[in-house]
Amino acid sequence: MRKWRCRNCGFIYDETLGLPDEGIAPGTRFEDIPEDWYCPDCGTEKQDFELVDY
Amino acid sequence: MTISEALARTIIDPKSYAQREIADAAFTQIRAEQPLDKAELPDFDPFWVVSRHADIKEIERQPDIFHNGDKSTFLSPRDGVERVKGLTGGEPNLIRSLVSVDGDEHKALRGVVFPHVTPRAIKPLEDQIRAIAREFVDHMLSFGGEVDFAQDVAFLYPLRVIMTVLGVPQEDEPFMLKLTQELFNNADPELNRRRAELTPDEMLKSLWETTMELEAYFAAVTEKFRANPTGQINSLIANATINGEYLNHRQLMGYYIIAATAGHDTTSNTTAGAMWALAERPELLRAMQESPDRINAFVEESIRWEVPVKHFMRSAVADCEIGGRQIKAGDWLMLSYQSANRDETVWADPFDFRIDRDQNPQIAFGYGVHVCLGQHLARMEMRILWEELSGRLKSVEMNGRGERAISNFVCGPKHVPIRFTVN
Repeated sequence: MRKWRCRNCGFIYDETLGLPDEGIAPGTRFEDIPEDWYCPDCGTEKQDFELVDY
Repeated sequence: MTISEALARTIIDPKSYAQREIADAAFTQIRAEQPLDKAELPDFDPFWVVSRHADIKEIERQPDIFHNGDKSTFLSPRDGVERVKGLTGGEPNLIRSLVSVDGDEHKALRGVVFPHVTPRAIKPLEDQIRAIAREFVDHMLSFGGEVDFAQDVAFLYPLRVIMTVLGVPQEDEPFMLKLTQELFNNADPELNRRRAELTPDEMLKSLWETTMELEAYFAAVTEKFRANPTGQINSLIANATINGEYLNHRQLMGYYIIAATAGHDTTSNTTAGAMWALAERPELLRAMQESPDRINAFVEESIRWEVPVKHFMRSAVADCEIGGRQIKAGDWLMLSYQSANRDETVWADPFDFRIDRDQNPQIAFGYGVHVCLGQHLARMEMRILWEELSGRLKSVEMNGRGERAISNFVCGPKHVPIRFTVN
């Protein structure tokens, strides 16, 4: 499981935790999140996240 | 060891930001010698000066430890904070807005507007904003070669954009501009409410009067939009509920006020600063005309360069370590965005204005959950303005001395006299 960081505000998407409040189940890989998803803190689009932890 | 009193006085003095090289020199020294250290001044509670880019990010990504609203959100003398508490019934900030609340309240309030200002949500506004930009470019060109770009363009264009998005009628724009300038430029005799040098007591009275005038205006806005809801931002605020209840009076007023003031003033400051930089560097105009795709880089560098919000304060609610220093629960910290955007460990040449940077992780919008709500709209409206303007200018240069407002909080150029020719 990996972590992805929003380049704009630093929000971390942790694949282990998912985002249940947004309907993204724990264990969801970043690439399986819909392409129109955006950072829940700042609105930055999915392509502007970077991998931070293998 | 603490930061010397002389240095601490320099970085809190509103006049240091009007002559920006003074603030920049002080922060350069602080970054080199005491990048995270305490300032102790007799009339202020002690505060840490956080000068490095990495330390500000580290603090802002921990909003559970570093609160916005427990103490004053901007640097205020001890006596001033006590007077504010007397006026607000105990709160340390005159205005209860997004920048002065934390936790669940912040999340709920931010959620009222956030879905409507994401890049995708604002994309449909592009044509409308472009029409406004063209109107103001035509307005500028109508001056026939000489204009004060700050007064005649930069203050007015973002104002029109944000008022359109909020749902404020055009005839109210001068009122909003005046009160915004009073709110953010209280130390500047040219822009404050009394048009005079003010004592600290007079400054607080002026701020309170301006706040009350804004509240009186927005009381009618609530009535209007509850009777006839629209999709405009003020209507969303008026009709928002948290746990089934409308926002309380302080939340409502704080939201209206921050949207209607910070929503344009910061963009105006950046736009005015961008023109000032452009007028001193003819090669930038040529570069943007040859490669319009550099306009985004120009906008981003303008934001880094101008950094319209000079600082915010945070207070720690738990002991922790930042940048190798022990921060204690209750400590107050000044996050200097101006300093962070000049951090030599991030930019090798921070005092050069360049649009060919590979990366530009400027932090003028803040970082973490409190990152500027309107950042995407601000970037879009600036990009559109420069797309419309850069192609029509043949040359631009300064036509006299630019002047910055006197403020240590939210400020930028108040006069940018330029001489220009058109294609």
